[in-house]
Amino acid sequence: MNLLDLVIAIPALGFLVALIMPRAMENFIRLLALGFSLVAFVVSLGLVSGFQNGQAGLQFVSNWIWIANPEIRYHVGIDGLSLWLIILSTFLTPIAILLSWKYVQHRIKEFYAFLLLLEFGLVGVFAAWDLFLFYTFWEVVLVPMYFLIGIWGHERRIYATVKFFLYTMVGSVLMLAAIIFLYTQAHTFDYGEILSQLGSGRIALDHGTETLLFLAFFLAFAIKVPLFPLHTWLPDAHVEAPTAGSVMLASVMLKMGTYGLVRFCLPMFPTAAKENAPWIVILAIIGIVVGALVAMVQPNMKKLVAYSSVSHLGFVVLGIFSFTQVGLDGAVYQMLNHGISTGALFLLVGFLYERQHSLEIKDYGGVATVAPWLSILFLITTLASIGLPTLNNFVGEFLVLQGAAQANFSWAVFAAFGVILSACYMLWMYQRVFFGALAHSVKHHVTDLSPREWACAVPLVVLMVWMGMYSQTFLPVVSEANARILERTSKAGLMKMNPHIAANTGSAVGGGNVHAR
Amino acid sequence: MQNLWLIPALPFIGFLINGILGRKLSKAVVSSIAVLSVVLSFGLVVSVGLSSDWGANPIHQHYFTWIQSGGVNIGWDFMVDKLTMIMLMVVTGIGSLIHIYATGYMAHEEGYYRFFAYLNLFMFFMLNLVLGANYLLLFVGWEGVGLCSYLLIGFYFVKKSATTAGNKAFIVNRIGDFGFSLAMFLIFMTFGSLDFGKVFAAAPGKPAETLTAIALLMLLGATGKSAQIPLYVWLPDAMEGPTPVSALIHAATMVTAGVYMCSRSAAIFLKAPIAMDTVAIVGLATAVFAATIGLTQYDIKKVFAYSTVSQLGYMFLGVGVGAFSAGVWHLMTHAFFKALLFMGAGSVIHACGGEQDMRQMGGLKKYTPWTCGVLACASLAIAGVPGTSGFFSKDAILTAAYAHAPWMFWVGVVTAGMTAFYVWRAFWMTFWGEYRGGHASAAAGHGHDAHAHADNHAHADHHGHDDHAHGGQAHGGHGAHGTPHESPWSMLGPLVVLAFLSLAGGFLFNIPKFLESMFPLHEEVANEQMLMGISIAAGLIGIAVSYFLYVVSPEVPARIAGALGGIYTLVYNKYFVDELYDATIVQPLVEGSTAVLWHGLDQGVIDGAVNGAGSGSRSIGGVLKHLQSGNIRTYATWVVVGSVILLVAMGLNGGMVR
Amino acid sequence: MLGNFAPSSVELLRFSPELVLTAAGSLLMMLDPLFGKKSPKLFGHISVAAFLLAIFASVQANAVSGRAFSNLLIVDGFATYFRILVLTIGVFAVLSSYLYLDREAADTPEYHSLLLFSVAGQCLMVAANDLIMIFLGLEISSIASYVLAGYLRNDRRNNESALKYFLLGSFATGFLLYGVSIIYGVTGTTKLDEIRTALAVPGASTAVVAVAAALMLVGLGFKVSAAPFQVWAPDVYQGAPAPVSAFMATAPKAAAFAIFLRIFVTDFGKIGSAWEPLIWISALLSMTIGNFAALTQTNIKRMLAYSSIAHAGYLLVAIAARSEIGTAAAMFYLAAYALMNIGAFAVVIHIAGKGERHLQITDLAGLGQRQPLTAALLTVFVLSLIGVPLTGGFFGKFYIFRSALESHLVWLAVLGLLNSAVAAYYYLRLLVVMYMYEPGEAADSLEPLSPGLGLALVLPAIGTFVLGILPGSVLSFATVGAALIK
Repeated sequence: MNLLDLVIAIPALGFLVALIMPRAMENFIRLLALGFSLVAFVVSLGLVSGFQNGQAGLQFVSNWIWIANPEIRYHVGIDGLSLWLIILSTFLTPIAILLSWKYVQHRIKEFYAFLLLLEFGLVGVFAAWDLFLFYTFWEVVLVPMYFLIGIWGHERRIYATVKFFLYTMVGSVLMLAAIIFLYTQAHTFDYGEILSQLGSGRIALDHGTETLLFLAFFLAFAIKVPLFPLHTWLPDAHVEAPTAGSVMLASVMLKMGTYGLVRFCLPMFPTAAKENAPWIVILAIIGIVVGALVAMVQPNMKKLVAYSSVSHLGFVVLGIFSFTQVGLDGAVYQMLNHGISTGALFLLVGFLYERQHSLEIKDYGGVATVAPWLSILFLITTLASIGLPTLNNFVGEFLVLQGAAQANFSWAVFAAFGVILSACYMLWMYQRVFFGALAHSVKHHVTDLSPREWACAVPLVVLMVWMGMYSQTFLPVVSEANARILERTSKAGLMKMNPHIAANTGSAVGGGNVHAR
Repeated sequence: MQNLWLIPALPFIGFLINGILGRKLSKAVVSSIAVLSVVLSFGLVVSVGLSSDWGANPIHQHYFTWIQSGGVNIGWDFMVDKLTMIMLMVVTGIGSLIHIYATGYMAHEEGYYRFFAYLNLFMFFMLNLVLGANYLLLFVGWEGVGLCSYLLIGFYFVKKSATTAGNKAFIVNRIGDFGFSLAMFLIFMTFGSLDFGKVFAAAPGKPAETLTAIALLMLLGATGKSAQIPLYVWLPDAMEGPTPVSALIHAATMVTAGVYMCSRSAAIFLKAPIAMDTVAIVGLATAVFAATIGLTQYDIKKVFAYSTVSQLGYMFLGVGVGAFSAGVWHLMTHAFFKALLFMGAGSVIHACGGEQDMRQMGGLKKYTPWTCGVLACASLAIAGVPGTSGFFSKDAILTAAYAHAPWMFWVGVVTAGMTAFYVWRAFWMTFWGEYRGGHASAAAGHGHDAHAHADNHAHADHHGHDDHAHGGQAHGGHGAHGTPHESPWSMLGPLVVLAFLSLAGGFLFNIPKFLESMFPLHEEVANEQMLMGISIAAGLIGIAVSYFLYVVSPEVPARIAGALGGIYTLVYNKYFVDELYDATIVQPLVEGSTAVLWHGLDQGVIDGAVNGAGSGSRSIGGVLKHLQSGNIRTYATWVVVGSVILLVAMGLNGGMVR
Repeated sequence: MLGNFAPSSVELLRFSPELVLTAAGSLLMMLDPLFGKKSPKLFGHISVAAFLLAIFASVQANAVSGRAFSNLLIVDGFATYFRILVLTIGVFAVLSSYLYLDREAADTPEYHSLLLFSVAGQCLMVAANDLIMIFLGLEISSIASYVLAGYLRNDRRNNESALKYFLLGSFATGFLLYGVSIIYGVTGTTKLDEIRTALAVPGASTAVVAVAAALMLVGLGFKVSAAPFQVWAPDVYQGAPAPVSAFMATAPKAAAFAIFLRIFVTDFGKIGSAWEPLIWISALLSMTIGNFAALTQTNIKRMLAYSSIAHAGYLLVAIAARSEIGTAAAMFYLAAYALMNIGAFAVVIHIAGKGERHLQITDLAGLGQRQPLTAALLTVFVLSLIGVPLTGGFFGKFYIFRSALESHLVWLAVLGLLNSAVAAYYYLRLLVVMYMYEPGEAADSLEPLSPGLGLALVLPAIGTFVLGILPGSVLSFATVGAALIK
């Protein structure tokens, strides 16, 4: 039972405890959930301090047989890629719990139980090193989010949540088919084992099969990302979800998709990944631009932010399929950045909603006059999300675009339009909501931040600055992990590597399965 | 060994204190923190300047690695060489003066602490910009100052026109930054680094096409930040901000960043002749174009805004024709006299209780003698009257232009004439003749409360960008009484200093000499005296004409305007460029996104397909449901039919099994 | 000579489960006049006891596994697995009937004895080594269930259901019997193992055997409600009393599939290439028709009927795999399927109310607020039906599609998985209504969960989780059993 197991177990335990609590004890349940999530967070920090960078392969490995035949293992472990995503999950869950303190007033017990279950699933997804286990966590995540949106959401919540569930389901069943197929070839679900078999050619996939498998995984992930044109579930889900739901959805759940692309699609099917990269990149760029343009004309704040996510995640996909160290590092860093800044955006929009019960931009105006601090935090977040240097997103976007430019300069040119447009839609929204003459309703409803709200928002803002000013805290371990992944993809040949990257790519084999055994 | 990081750090500390605690602090404390932090960093700059060795071998300090991934390795590095030193001096020096001035000018504004916090933040980023030792740090400052300009233009955030201008500034600059970032990607791919040292050392060896591409992309960035064609449109609107902001950011420092970048990248530009010519032509075109608009404006700040655009054009002309040092020289002198012009204008506006329309002024020389005096100095300098700072730098540029291509010289000279004319036109209209205001100031006396804004919006709607600053600028306390009044010494003091610099700045600082080690001096041109004479003449003629038209016979201009008719309206309305951009770019984008992308593509096609799949399968279900008649005979038939098919199929298959 | 016919004690032990059940059934009938009216619950208790005893008996029988009655019966792991399965279903059927019979004021004795007989017939089927035996078992089971389907004789829906079930059922068994006779004609035996050897000799006329197989396929296809012989299921399930539908949807199906596996995978394995494509098609049809038709249903029982058709389709995928893994997968899936279906039906019984007034999906509205526990349990079953990990349903599906892929039925697997995505839609509607609608009349008029139903809900829920999280033991049991029928 190592630290990682604890990080996975604590939320699960919290979930069960919350379930058996008598529903009357509302405040106690709140505190309980907060407690569990905080403990989980603190423990997860142990992962950071204990993580040895440069050591090849997985760390904090724990590997048991779960089901004997077919052999399915509880095999978890982390590398630089999973580390920060797990921290992101454990970091945001307490915030999500805290921000719902007043927002959620009915069926408290289920709400917090589901949040903890969600955390459990998310951490598991990022830690799983056995395809079956991965799929299990992947699906587990679906259930609580389905209820979070469906029960505590707004008017059209049912349409939104069913749409969300089915969209994801279609993708994941095909992934399941692919996983089982791989099993029939490798006779194991252990990811490290499969990787080494693929690497050593013990499993030889003919070209067509590899492509099909790649597409099966890719579809599941692309829907989660979401990659244009599979994104239409996202705006609905976001608009209808309760604040906590939106935050977790945007900040962490979308990363499951991008994580999957990096973790599975690239190392397992390098050739197919490279062959398909061109059209995927085109979709990503369309997503960047179209997402931004559509965001620009949204009358609803959450919808606007949702479409901005489509645009931002486009950058991530672009970075991933640039197959450059810089681009991939940027992509992963951008996953974290988006988690922080977009999470904060949904958080603050949620605060506004709690005050005036409207998400329509037109219902606001002059908020800065009555709630200066709220406005300042919102401004910082806005600037972060439009990629102002010294704030987090800039670093990610810069690296992604740099990587894209190295792969194909025109990609960077088109993608960079997204950077211009992001300024348009965010600043126009900011102007209409916070500036201008004080709207009557705003005057009566909107107050400045409460201490609890400060507690939710400040950690995020601090991180924006930290990640923007000192990426060295986070980036090295990520580069390390990415270097290994690129190591595998580069074996697949096809794309010549830029000398600068080649210099930096590490040496160890994909995923470090050796240590996992 | 000085710690360079302290230079930007001090204003940043000021920003933090005022930003976080300012609300609680008294105005005195706020202003002293703000001013002190800048003055101190000026002191630091001076002490660095006095330290011996930096001229010969630049100071280079590395603080920490900022971004490190693959080949990319960006350090937070500062460096000081001669070019940086000039910028540092200008920024902190003039910055200090303007901070002092602002304590007086903003004395009665609410959000006082906010103003100074932003101002300090601006100093921080601007200093980063000039100190940064690699392109990415330059870019940090570049975007940062853009942010502060956005915040300060929109300082009166309840005014829609102000915040809109702020957005416009930021977004237009983003378009420029688009070019800048692409330039950086290209630089990194070409040189494998973004450090100035490495890049410039390797530049000569690289293919001209690449360097040209880089240079042109940088130019795009520069046209944004330094308000050149085609991206100049944001600067006039930026006058929505309080006047000290216009002086500091939109005249003296930020807008010259483009010139700084180009001169900094001289190594690249010199290898890209096509880019150089483009720079020169863009600069020249902007100079003329903006000058013509300046001829017709009535809002005193607008006049100076277009004049700024025009003067920046001059600097680019200098850079473009290879006279980097001349460009930088003009950058400095312009900082003196243009800052002065703006602050003087501010003093005038202050005197008239917020009035900015020169038609509402006149005869102020008897009310505000000091302001009148200092503005005279500035106007002489910008008109390039011999001996004044403007004369030297402008002459240097024009001579270089002549050496490069005579026609550029002539266009430059004409522009010089126009410049002299419109600046002095403004001067006469403001200080000579009879005071035409009075009633207006009473109207403006409201200070800026909601009601005053209401009628601002009304105004704004009537004549475009002309005058919507009253409410914003008016000071609750003042303005209430009708007659103009001289400004306090906290404002006049800095003006006097700048007046001195505008006159003597040319003598005192011979930039080309100073920079000789970086930018070799231009070869002597034949008949340089003659050229000088021509440019002087142009300036003097301009002044004379303006005197004739606005003092001797003030009724003439109206007739001329009438005579010109269409052309005049065209120019008066700034060639309708804003309208053009709006109609050709903004509107199509917004409407296209709404109708085509959002409703059409996203909701129509994609979501239509998704929901279609759903309803489609449900309707299949409906059909299947109807097979279920509930009638047992039909069921029996089913079973029989099914069985028969099965039997036949099996019989055949089975026959084939071996 | 005669000695051979007098069954030895060990043979009787191998036959004991059937004995227990028949004895109990007859006992109930005798007790009817004494306690029939006085203590209706008593009969339920007795039959539960009988089922439990029978389970114990079948475990014992397995200990001495082997043949019985001159090779008419064969008690092996396979048989035991299914015996225990159908017996467990029997237990739950009784548990979920207490409240129902009480509510409808129906006589309990016959009901329970019929239940016992029906299960006895199924036990016989799954342990039979002889086509005649199989037929006998099938008939015993079927006839009992025909009667059960129409148990509330004053209820029009019951009568219609019973009649349809009876007519079509006997129609189908006719096919089965015909097939049996042809086999006898070709091979001169009805013993499964002997048939196998007979068919093994080269030159056996495969075409005729195939025709016979086809005929049996019709009979069995009807019993498992596989397309195109599924037509009866929706009407019958909807019409029959809810507990009976629960029973019919699970136990007879399980037994029929057991036969399917025994006969087709082993005896007709040789001509597998002949029937595999047909099973392939039938599987796809069943899944697709079942799921798509379910999409638009508003009546829960009917929806579950269609869903059971779809699940028959999944099971056929496993049979089409024609492999040991396939057999094991089918066996495992049947267990998981039985649990989640019984659970779901138990909830239906709970909310239906007297005279089954509340059978619309919308009648679940607000259950999540009125009775969180019941709702939670139904959620478990629904998630299992959808096939969400950590539930038996998921592992069963996974195991089936694995077997399909091992046998290179790639496209069938993909289509099947896509089907399960479609299915998610109508299962989700239950959750939507339960949790996201405001309580309606049905939920408000709901009485607390009765102990019997409570057990019939909680135990399957636990079972569902066990099969989903720790499937190991059941899985190995199934695998062993699957190996034995070779």
